Amino acid sequence: MIDLIHVTRRFGAATAVDDISLSVAQGELCVLVGTSGCGKSTTLRMINRLIEHSEGEIHIDGQQIRRFREETLRRRMGYAIQSTGLFPHWTVARNIGLVPRLLKWPATRIQARVEELMALLGLSMEAFAGKYPHQLSGGQAQRVGVARALAADPDILLMDEPFGALDPITRESLQDELRELQARLHKTIVFVTHDMDEALRLADHLVVMHQGRIVQQGRPLELLREPADDFVESLLGGEDRGLKEAALLPVSQRMLPLGPRLLARERIGQRASLREALSLMLWRHAERLTVVDDDDLPVGELSLRRLVGARSDD
Amino acid sequence: MRPDMPGPNVVLLTLSLVALAAWLGLDTVSLAANRIVPGTGYRVFDVIGVGGALATSLPWLALAGLAWRPARHRLALALTLVVLMLSALPAWLSLSAVTLVDSAQARLGIGAGIWVVLFLQLLAMIELRRRLDLSRLIGWALVLPAVASAGLCLARWLEPLALWQEYRGRSGQFLSAVGEHLLLVGVAVGTSLALGVCLALAMRRWPGVQRAGFGLLNVLQTIPSIALFGLLLAPLAWLSANVDWLAALGVSGIGRAPALLALVGYSLLPMVRNTFVALEAVDAGVIDAARGMGMSRGQVLRQVRLPLAMPVILEGIRITTVQAIGLTAVAALIGAGGLGTFIFQGLGQAAMDLVLLGALPILLLALLVDALLGALTDILRPGGAE
Repeated sequence: MIDLIHVTRRFGAATAVDDISLSVAQGELCVLVGTSGCGKSTTLRMINRLIEHSEGEIHIDGQQIRRFREETLRRRMGYAIQSTGLFPHWTVARNIGLVPRLLKWPATRIQARVEELMALLGLSMEAFAGKYPHQLSGGQAQRVGVARALAADPDILLMDEPFGALDPITRESLQDELRELQARLHKTIVFVTHDMDEALRLADHLVVMHQGRIVQQGRPLELLREPADDFVESLLGGEDRGLKEAALLPVSQRMLPLGPRLLARERIGQRASLREALSLMLWRHAERLTVVDDDDLPVGELSLRRLVGARSDD
Repeated sequence: MRPDMPGPNVVLLTLSLVALAAWLGLDTVSLAANRIVPGTGYRVFDVIGVGGALATSLPWLALAGLAWRPARHRLALALTLVVLMLSALPAWLSLSAVTLVDSAQARLGIGAGIWVVLFLQLLAMIELRRRLDLSRLIGWALVLPAVASAGLCLARWLEPLALWQEYRGRSGQFLSAVGEHLLLVGVAVGTSLALGVCLALAMRRWPGVQRAGFGLLNVLQTIPSIALFGLLLAPLAWLSANVDWLAALGVSGIGRAPALLALVGYSLLPMVRNTFVALEAVDAGVIDAARGMGMSRGQVLRQVRLPLAMPVILEGIRITTVQAIGLTAVAALIGAGGLGTFIFQGLGQAAMDLVLLGALPILLLALLVDALLGALTDILRPGGAE
């Protein structure tokens, strides 16, 4: 649980963050999004006191962060950044074990934890434990970065554009992995990005910042449907909004139960997004799709009319 | 030319042909009737006749031939040849000594031809070591046959060699001079390392210190060394006359105290600059992550910044040490001892071989330190990272 209450940060005469209030609930993934220089990174770095706030209060689980020693506070939070910040002179295993070592865990416990995390992030122990960061691909390095952030099992995870430097394919697969991790671990995550697609994919709670202020915050669908002003609307993609919304809605929301008609030839999983369904229809020139469950058994059907039809806020 | 055959190795080709020209065209030895008179130069064919001289050029022609089609096994052959030729140089001196020297006072000098050939052959050796991907250690081992050959020849036939005579006349003095030299360099580099690291850390903390510090060190660096010794003379003499405990420590206007002060002064700039740059150059993302993970300032410095800066800091130590080895020679002027003593004595007596007795070991020491610290830098490079 993180609360920012009327927080301001000034650098000399300039105000980087201007009187923002924000509350991130336990287990929520909060994404701060905005153009560069909007104060989103500054906001993130104020939470672990890499930057001190000038005014206002920041609370972690109801306690002011200034009541902790800086180091103690930071060791309670995971921290992952775009450049990964892996120590080039340490092996992968040693990098991951950093915070547990700072917390003076016994060696056997650190070893066990490192193994657990590497398994969690899909990094095989034999192949990667002894490698140095420069021997890793961008995606592998970022996985190690996330593993390191999770090492001491912190409740809070701060992520500053962690996937920003990766190619689109690696980025998407890591985004999916993060969602899956989050579904299992229920961390409280503050995630900074300038990529709106990434923000929409990941966010439980989306915060749009502009010139040091929060211009709108809420659930991604709420923002898509009712942007507060032109800036938010343009950030959300203007004419692409329909597709962005479709990307957030699962097929299961719009499908109809199986009818008496013959099953359509093209199939789509019920967890797929409406955007994927639309793309498949366009590609296959199909007006109807058969919706299947995880075992590839038909559970319903989706027509083009139904897909684009009146919104159902079921 | 077959497609899998690489083109000629131009470096080796040039080196062998230039070396051959130097060998045949320059004096290889000189002979003087005694220590004072200047010697007469002898070229190869003066010693063994034209036929013999042409015969000695065969190894170089063979080397050039091997360089023309440099397949790997030919390069290995060329390296063997270079090592053998290096080992043959002392033998050549021995042959000249036996042929030319006819009196007990006569002295044999090493001619320009030998020095040039020695230098070029060493370059050829380095080139071949690189081409064949041999390790540094093997590179050093390759010099051993030549050293062994030189030792053997010195013991058996090279008694008239002027350099050798100068050495035998003062072998005890020579060893203590090497010791003094190393002591001065060691203390100066050690002190400037300790001071330099502290100063670099202070500069990173306070920008004011940085500006003032670099300004002062830059000015210090521009003062010529002899002038600096002169400048230190008066204040140190005054101090030793007026402060008893300094006098008891052996501080005076001349001798080791001003030498060390000046050496430390000159060593500080390269040391501080390298250390400062090394500490600054550590990736900001790594430092950000280290702090964000909850490392304290001290932990960031000790566990992250210093280890990552270490190769560049070592580079600074290497440059400083090599520079100090050379500068210490000048310190002999103010009575600090060391190998420079021979150089200035030799200059005073117009005895060039005595100058060489001081200069050659300084050169060797510098090369040795350079190689050792270079190897250490390689070892300390983390995880083989660039």
